[in-house]
Amino acid sequence: MAIIETFGLTKQFNGLVAVDEMTLAIDREIFGLLGPNGSGKTTTVRMLTTLLTPTSGEAKVCGHSVTASPREVRDRISYVPQDMAVDMKLTGRENVVFFANLYGIPRPRETADEALAQMDLASRADDMVNTYSGGMRRRLELAQALVHDPEVLFLDEPTIGLDVAGRRKIWEHIINLKNGGMTVFVTTHYMDEADHACDRVGIIDKGKIVALDTPTALKSLHCHEIIAIRGEGEYKGTVVPDVTFIGKTDDELRFQAISGEDSGIPLLRALTNSGMKIHSFVIRQPTLDDVFLSLIGEQEETMAFDHHRFRTMLRRRA
Amino acid sequence: MKRTFTYMERDLRRWIRGRINVITSLVMPAAWLIFVGLALPIRFTDNYLDFITPGILVLTMLGASLQGGALLMFDKILGFLQKFLAMPAPRESILFGKILAITLRGLIQTTVILVIALILGAHLLDPIFLLQTYLILFIFGVLLSSIMTTVALSLDDHDSYAAFNSMVAMPLFFTSSALMPYDQMPGWLAFLAHLNPVSYAIDAIRALQGGIFPATTIAGLLVSAVIVLSICIMTFRRATV
Repeated sequence: MAIIETFGLTKQFNGLVAVDEMTLAIDREIFGLLGPNGSGKTTTVRMLTTLLTPTSGEAKVCGHSVTASPREVRDRISYVPQDMAVDMKLTGRENVVFFANLYGIPRPRETADEALAQMDLASRADDMVNTYSGGMRRRLELAQALVHDPEVLFLDEPTIGLDVAGRRKIWEHIINLKNGGMTVFVTTHYMDEADHACDRVGIIDKGKIVALDTPTALKSLHCHEIIAIRGEGEYKGTVVPDVTFIGKTDDELRFQAISGEDSGIPLLRALTNSGMKIHSFVIRQPTLDDVFLSLIGEQEETMAFDHHRFRTMLRRRA
Repeated sequence: MKRTFTYMERDLRRWIRGRINVITSLVMPAAWLIFVGLALPIRFTDNYLDFITPGILVLTMLGASLQGGALLMFDKILGFLQKFLAMPAPRESILFGKILAITLRGLIQTTVILVIALILGAHLLDPIFLLQTYLILFIFGVLLSSIMTTVALSLDDHDSYAAFNSMVAMPLFFTSSALMPYDQMPGWLAFLAHLNPVSYAIDAIRALQGGIFPATTIAGLLVSAVIVLSICIMTFRRATV
């Protein structure tokens, strides 16, 4: 029996399908759910963490149904939503002891100190959280999540808004937790991070899982070599044999080819003949980003931006 | 029950750390007490301070509840609530902890106002009277913070809540029996004052001042508090599905 299992899991909001017949089995691994904004990632996590009732289908976490026995599920999981909700006017330790008390842990203070030490926050435990960096706040949330020693950890966009060093550190900790036997379910739209850290990834689009495998398998299955081209002029759908167009990001056209070396020059020539002016041209190995682009296409980013701004605004007021 | 106190402790800690808020929310009731209680030329009584003090105590509790209603909404907007709901602790303890924290916060503030009133010369220093006054203020606090939390959860937006808040705060106070007895009011105002829940809390404390235990008024407040709290629990459950 897998730690997380879903069978035809579906959620509709007023007839709009957010998650569509999702069937998954996840077991002692870092599982990454990737998808554009509004694809159903957070809705999936909210159903698995008992915060939303599925419209139909079933989900089990550690063998307990999220609908029939939510208390048992909540006893075994921790959930860190993407909002970064920690009490600014409390110290790091107070934040974690608060969670230890809510979980009813026998020795809350000692357990909190252990969790803080595990997240490298012991030296700052008595400082107010409003002096913490974004990465430290996220680690504090992980410490809160770890006080009751959960079997499954749900992380929604754990590295959003963090700098490069902060991101790396968060992923190191996540990988350590997995090595300690924890199942980690994470959503993200940072492809490079998922590529590097996740054992398996599921790519979700419009509520449906469109690909599910290890990052390596996904890359070799969907793309051979990538030809990335920057230029001016309208792309009119020109291709040459053994080359397929996978998508466009900003000013870059991406193609996948069985051999970039063989097809590169003919492709360039064809594009120039179609009236485009080519500035640069790169042949490289595929990344998860290319797989994503070929499966889903261009991403809309505006929604996440406004959402974040609104949140910061509110936080300043509070 | 223990979880309720854990949630309450969090809110009280955050409040005490806010320092400035602790002081600012006391300025308005203290100003009423000093500038109106001591300065207004009143003919119907020779000790207006004693008369107005119950009104100001209730006003302080009213202010605390109006401010506190937004707490749970902010927990929801900022993502705290999602974390709490995914925990095994009983979900209702989040709500009970909040209402208890708002009420306790109000009781601490009224204590400060009470001390100021005593310093200014109000005659209130009777332990049984004080104990009963606190009981009334506690029930009133639960009633008002349940109402405001329900409103905040239903509006689900900070700006609308702030607008609602400033709309009801003054009218609730002025249409109560805080500033004058019913027989001094114009008829239409006396009618409104009799409908206002704020008046009931004030009248109950005034009855205590006169040496009467206002059993029916207290029972009425208690029943309303229980009813509103039940509505609040229902709203909370609906907001957290």
